[in-house]
Amino acid sequence: MSRTPEGLREEQLWFARAVMTGAALDQVGQRLTAGPKLGPLERLDVYRRGYEARLVECLADDYPVLERALGEEPFAALCRAYVARHPSEAPNLNAYGRHMAEVCPGFAADLARLEWAIVEVIHEPAGAPLTLEDLAAVPAEGWATARLVPSRAVRILTLDYPANDYFQAVREGNTPPLPERAPSATAVYRSGHAVWRMGLTPTMHRVLDALVAGELLEAALALAGDEPPEQVTAWFREWVSGGLFVGVEAR
Amino acid sequence: MANRFGLPDLGVGLGLRTVHYSHIVQARPEVDWFEILSENYMQTAGRPLEWLDAITDRYPVAMHGVSLSIGSTDPLDRAYLTELRALRDRTKARWVSDHLCWTGVSGKNTHDLLPMPYTEEALRHVAGRVRAVQDFLGAPLALENPSTYVEFTAGEMPEWEFLARLAEEADCALLLDVNNVFVSAYNHGFDAREYLAAVPFDRVVQLHVAGHTHHGTHIVDSHIGPVIDEVWRLLGDAWKRAGGASVLLEWDAEVPAFEVTHAEALRAKDFIGTP
Repeated sequence: MSRTPEGLREEQLWFARAVMTGAALDQVGQRLTAGPKLGPLERLDVYRRGYEARLVECLADDYPVLERALGEEPFAALCRAYVARHPSEAPNLNAYGRHMAEVCPGFAADLARLEWAIVEVIHEPAGAPLTLEDLAAVPAEGWATARLVPSRAVRILTLDYPANDYFQAVREGNTPPLPERAPSATAVYRSGHAVWRMGLTPTMHRVLDALVAGELLEAALALAGDEPPEQVTAWFREWVSGGLFVGVEAR
Repeated sequence: MANRFGLPDLGVGLGLRTVHYSHIVQARPEVDWFEILSENYMQTAGRPLEWLDAITDRYPVAMHGVSLSIGSTDPLDRAYLTELRALRDRTKARWVSDHLCWTGVSGKNTHDLLPMPYTEEALRHVAGRVRAVQDFLGAPLALENPSTYVEFTAGEMPEWEFLARLAEEADCALLLDVNNVFVSAYNHGFDAREYLAAVPFDRVVQLHVAGHTHHGTHIVDSHIGPVIDEVWRLLGDAWKRAGGASVLLEWDAEVPAFEVTHAEALRAKDFIGTP
């Protein structure tokens, strides 16, 4: 077991605290030299500015519509608070923004959930989509026990606000007002390289939620209730062709 | 003089950037090789790997990391190394590189390439870790000289001496970033030619060039815009001293169209010659 390099350790603990929290800056003159044109603190500031800016930029990449909703400066302030509360502990920033919904109120939290679902499905494998031919191959006696296998790149969101409508309006170049509270549901999924969002009616939500949860196909479709069968068939075809499912299991 | 590790001179390549994925896969431009940012393809099972597989099917790649944190006093991250090795095997990367730096301590990651105090203690520490990483990978690790903005009062030797002794003691390869030499030379007031004169070029397997941002009082290694002629001339000097090495342009900020970055990379050919 090698000995801990005490001097190096102590230097790193100080440097990291100074960069990440601004603590112990009074020691900067003892620890860092002046350069040709900058003093020790000004030189350290290159790292201090870079640290916060890098993480804020990462959050802005993950939450572009949230930034639009809140406004540039309020969003930046939110991000700075996020950075202080959630220092990164991972080798990359893929999952860094996962806590955003927890630090947002009301509609902003729902918008953050929607945008985070987009990030999540990007990093999940989409898998080879189920085809209508795969379904046709299920023997008649298998339908009673058939279940669909959902793609890992699917998220079904149950929200308190119409976040997807707002998101879509911003994507279309509009500046919509912040919406009033109204329940909504959205499927976020990836098909090939493209990420899709699909607004769900309450009935669609009920059926799709059950299918994605692995309920028996017949039981899940029965949740459509009085919905016309041709409508349910159309939804079903859209979900299958959209790549929300990667297989069918039947005993 | 080829490098002592027998690693190939891949020619003039480009850092692979997400905004160029689609163009590269569809247009299949003639490019010698790509350098991939290792962490972009770690802790993901999705789209980044799908693009990467399509590109590594057609082009040679080398891996370049930013989170090995070889200089940290935290323990080496075994899970990170395991994923790094798996990515190397998946991409058939010709080599794996990272920086002579640390990125965090106490389990936190700043996602920055933080400077080392160049002390005897740090040299022993880093050399031991480089050897451990190389044992784990079963291949030489190429370490890159960082751009730095501070120096420690505790420093006992210049960076070029630290780098040369480290390479010798750990028996590792080097990735010499001539833009970083230029940037640090300005920020610390040393002579870039003196730095190059101390580099053990038989260990240099790759050379980096990039643009930077001059703030008047200091230069930041921003990887933005074209490469200035002084850096190109350093590249030519380094390439000749190495007897040839793979050259790579990094362009990370305000990344323009693929053709623009590729044309900039190919300017290297005006400054490098026959070994």
